[in-house]
Amino acid sequence: MNAPRAGRLVEAALRCYPARWRRRHADEAAELAMLLIRDGTPARSIAWSYLAGAAREWLTPRPGRRLSVVACALLVAVCSLGVSVALVASTQPARAVVSPSRPPAPAHCVPIPASHAPNAAPATDRPQPANREPGHDRPC
Amino acid sequence: MGKRDDGAGPDVLRRVGEASVLILISLADGPKHGYALIQDIKELAGVELGPGTLYGALDRLERLTLIESLPAEDRRHPYRITAPGAAALRVHLDSLERVSAAGRLRLQLGGI
Repeated sequence: MNAPRAGRLVEAALRCYPARWRRRHADEAAELAMLLIRDGTPARSIAWSYLAGAAREWLTPRPGRRLSVVACALLVAVCSLGVSVALVASTQPARAVVSPSRPPAPAHCVPIPASHAPNAAPATDRPQPANREPGHDRPC
Repeated sequence: MGKRDDGAGPDVLRRVGEASVLILISLADGPKHGYALIQDIKELAGVELGPGTLYGALDRLERLTLIESLPAEDRRHPYRITAPGAAALRVHLDSLERVSAAGRLRLQLGGI
């Protein structure tokens, strides 16, 4: 691997560290990587070591970064993965649940469950409201 | 290991990992920067520390105030063992020595 490419690989790995760490160590770490590469250490193994170090750095609770924040970050990552899997799964054709021979009833014809109609008791002593919507001369 | 407290304080290095102990041993004879630490530990113990492992251990030791970083030379920060670091290393090495001696004795008694 040539020097500029090795440098880019190491820099990419160093960008994975938290900002606090980069402010403190990034310059020094890049220089150390160059010295190790000059000694014959493969750039890929150095980048891998930095990547593993970055993962540890993010997952280690710090005084300024509470454990709950780390747990939330992990939870968000797991949820994102779950949503992605669900989206991929939903692209498969869904089975039809409505009979094609009968079109769905219009919204005003859907019966209201008794639990959602508090005054659902038949008002025999009051006049019944007339349904004046078109098409209601016959049952739905 | 290190559960005994012989008046020298608890063994704080019991749980910091091998890399941290090797770094303290390397810094025991004077300040060093990252590259010098890796070379020295390779020579001293035959262990090749990855740079990611090195900086993780340096951060941990610094938080525990067992080492401190000195002003940067060029782009390199030399690190120096602190007085509590030296004391902790002494306690840890004593503990290792006791365990090592017990192990050798048992091997002798077992005739293996």
